Amino acid sequence: MGIPSVQDVSFPECESSHVGKLSLQLNCNSDCIHVLRSMVAVMTARAGMSELRSNRVAIGVDELFANITTHAYGGNAGRIELETSIIDQPDNNQVLIFDFRDYASRMWSGDIKEVASRPDDHENLCPGGLGLKLICSVSDCCEHTALEDGNHWRLIFNINDGENDGCNA
Amino acid sequence: MDVTLKFEREDRDDLHTLIHIIGDVTIHTSPRLREQLKPMYTSKMQEIHVALDQVDFMDSSGIATLVEGLQWSRLTGGRFVLSGLRDNVRDVFSLAKLDTIFDIEDSIA
Repeated sequence: MGIPSVQDVSFPECESSHVGKLSLQLNCNSDCIHVLRSMVAVMTARAGMSELRSNRVAIGVDELFANITTHAYGGNAGRIELETSIIDQPDNNQVLIFDFRDYASRMWSGDIKEVASRPDDHENLCPGGLGLKLICSVSDCCEHTALEDGNHWRLIFNINDGENDGCNA
Repeated sequence: MDVTLKFEREDRDDLHTLIHIIGDVTIHTSPRLREQLKPMYTSKMQEIHVALDQVDFMDSSGIATLVEGLQWSRLTGGRFVLSGLRDNVRDVFSLAKLDTIFDIEDSIA
C-alpha cells in the first residue's frame, strides 16, 4: 500500500466515456461565470488553441451562460449543467463541444440564424441584444433544442480550422 | 482572472475625468461598472476617459454598459473615450462591430 502512482489510477471500462470530459452542475449565480472561464481555459489549452481563440471560446460560453441566467431563468435560481469535451471527427478534424442544459420553464423559441444575421443599427445603439450575436460570431455552430423541461444548447468550435466563420449550423 | 472589479478615478477638474477599470468585466461585475459611470453622465461633464489597460476580459454586458456612455456622448456632445484596450478586449469590440463606433485611443492620456 502507499500513495497510488499515476498508472494505478484508471477509469473502469464503464466510465471510459467520461475520460477527457469536464462536467459541472451549477446554480445560475452570475459569479459562476468565473468557474466556466477556468473550464474553458483548461479545454482550450488541451485543444492547443491560441490565446485569441481561447478568449473567443470564453466569450461564447460566457454569453450563453448569461443568456440562460438572464432570459431562461429570469434572474431566479436555477440549475445549469455543462459538459465539455473534445471530439474526433471522421475527417481527422477535432471539435471542442460545450453542452448546456437548463431546466427553465421559459423555452427559447427564436431563430439563431435570424438573430445572427440582424443588421447592426449603430445610429440607434442600445445596451443589450449583443450576446447571441457574439455567440454566433465566435462559434462554428450554435444549436438549440427546446425540451419538455428546459433547453439544450450546444456550442461547437472547430479546433483545426483556425478562425471560424460563425454559425454554420 | 478577477472575480471583483476595482476602480481608480482621477478627476482632472470638474469637467474632465479619467477612470481606470481593473479586473474582468462580466455579467457579474458590470453592475459595479455601471454604478461608477452613471453619476458621471451629467450635462456638465465634458470628457469621460475610461482606461481599460488592466481589463483582461469583457463580455457583452460590459460593452452594453459602455454603450450607455456612448449614448451620453451623443446626447450631450461630451467626449467618451476608451483607451489601452488589450488584444482580447479589442477583439470583442471588433466582433461586435463597435470598434469603429467608439472613440478608442491606443494610449491613456
